[in-house]
Amino acid sequence: MAAFRSSDTSARPTGLLARCIFFSLLALALMIVDKRYEHLVKIRRALSIIVYPAQIAVASPFEGWAWLRESLTTRETLRADNARLEGELRVAQFRLQRYEALEAESRRLRALRDNTASVGAHFLVGNVMDVDLDAFRERVLVDKGARDGVYIGQAVLDSGGVFGQVARVEQLTSEVILISDAAHAIPVQDNRNGLRTIAVGTGDVGRLKLPYISTAADILKGDLLVTSGLGGGFPAGYPVGTVTQVKRDPAQSLAEVEVTPAAALDRSRELLFVWPSPSDVPAASLTHATAKPASQVPGSTPP
Amino acid sequence: MMREQRIRRLPVLLSALVALALAITPLPNLLDAFRPDFLVLVVFYWSIVSPRAGGLALAFFAGLALDVVKGVVLGQHALALTLMAAWATHLRLRLRVFSVVSQCLTIFLLLMGYQFILFWVDGATGNPVTSFGRWLAPVIGAALWPVLVGSLSRLHER
Repeated sequence: MAAFRSSDTSARPTGLLARCIFFSLLALALMIVDKRYEHLVKIRRALSIIVYPAQIAVASPFEGWAWLRESLTTRETLRADNARLEGELRVAQFRLQRYEALEAESRRLRALRDNTASVGAHFLVGNVMDVDLDAFRERVLVDKGARDGVYIGQAVLDSGGVFGQVARVEQLTSEVILISDAAHAIPVQDNRNGLRTIAVGTGDVGRLKLPYISTAADILKGDLLVTSGLGGGFPAGYPVGTVTQVKRDPAQSLAEVEVTPAAALDRSRELLFVWPSPSDVPAASLTHATAKPASQVPGSTPP
Repeated sequence: MMREQRIRRLPVLLSALVALALAITPLPNLLDAFRPDFLVLVVFYWSIVSPRAGGLALAFFAGLALDVVKGVVLGQHALALTLMAAWATHLRLRLRVFSVVSQCLTIFLLLMGYQFILFWVDGATGNPVTSFGRWLAPVIGAALWPVLVGSLSRLHER
């Protein structure tokens, strides 16, 4: 075994060093240009279209299997599912009635305070593609891109809460960085008392941390954290997670606070891209985006 | 001459494409950290067995494909793969007479060098990977080397 049978037994290929230096310099130049300037976006987009068939080829068996399983489910399970979903819908509609009343009230109060309401958001549903990016970064590939008007820094939600934001946009796909990525931070607010801070990812899917909470701060286990809307990246008021652990060491000036994200970061398939105000929505995606956000139930069939 | 070259290149391209597909095939989270760098191993194999079929151009473009697929700064994997493939080509005549264990150790060193360049570029471009998991891939890759040589040499001979 492991014996190389080769016809090519000539000594060193000519000019190995020269070619090595040539390609290394080319790679270094690419990196510098890619990092420093934005010129390579077009090249990267072109390359990503070439790679797209490979990504589709890898993803399609899994999608095919899911489709097959779905189309082979029996009448019984479909009926059971239907009954369960109807029940859930009834509960959801009941909650929604309350929500709409609250929303109307909130708009009235905001109008009283001469404040612009930021509830008129637009959504676009995208599907997570079955493609693994880097194992050590929390990122996913989604099948909506520049063609659909997705932009870098755009907030992405799932049915539970804030999922992440768009880190890179290609023509047909985009890469979403999860809020649990070690390089990600999101401005949040404690829903109980309005305490503002920043939630930072840990690189671990089920865990965020609040590194800038002083030991004296009023934060308790079970507190819900919502987006504060500061910084302008994320719309305000969406759930980010719940506090699961608060460690206060009197010797330290900062407390150790752990947060479990509200979004199903490792399970969600359908994601919502959010446009904070209707004027920002590009014309191309208006056909996809629904006019009434309240009627858009996350997890419905994508457009 | 022309025709001979074309015949030799087909298995190279084919194996590289399969390895690229394996690099992005979804795996459960737990197994994902254990995924060896298939494409890197395939490039090493061709650099050692038949440097004229793929050569450093293969290494460079395979690296570029990895950059695009993984969405990192363009040129990172290309640089690492070019340098290590050049080293593999340099060592190839000695590698062929090595025992299996020494071959695996050499491949381990090459893979560690590859990871180190990636690690260094990650740090230099300002998004360091904090996990130790990435240093696991060279171990698995080196252990997989004999299997890979066995299957690829069959493809090569045909």
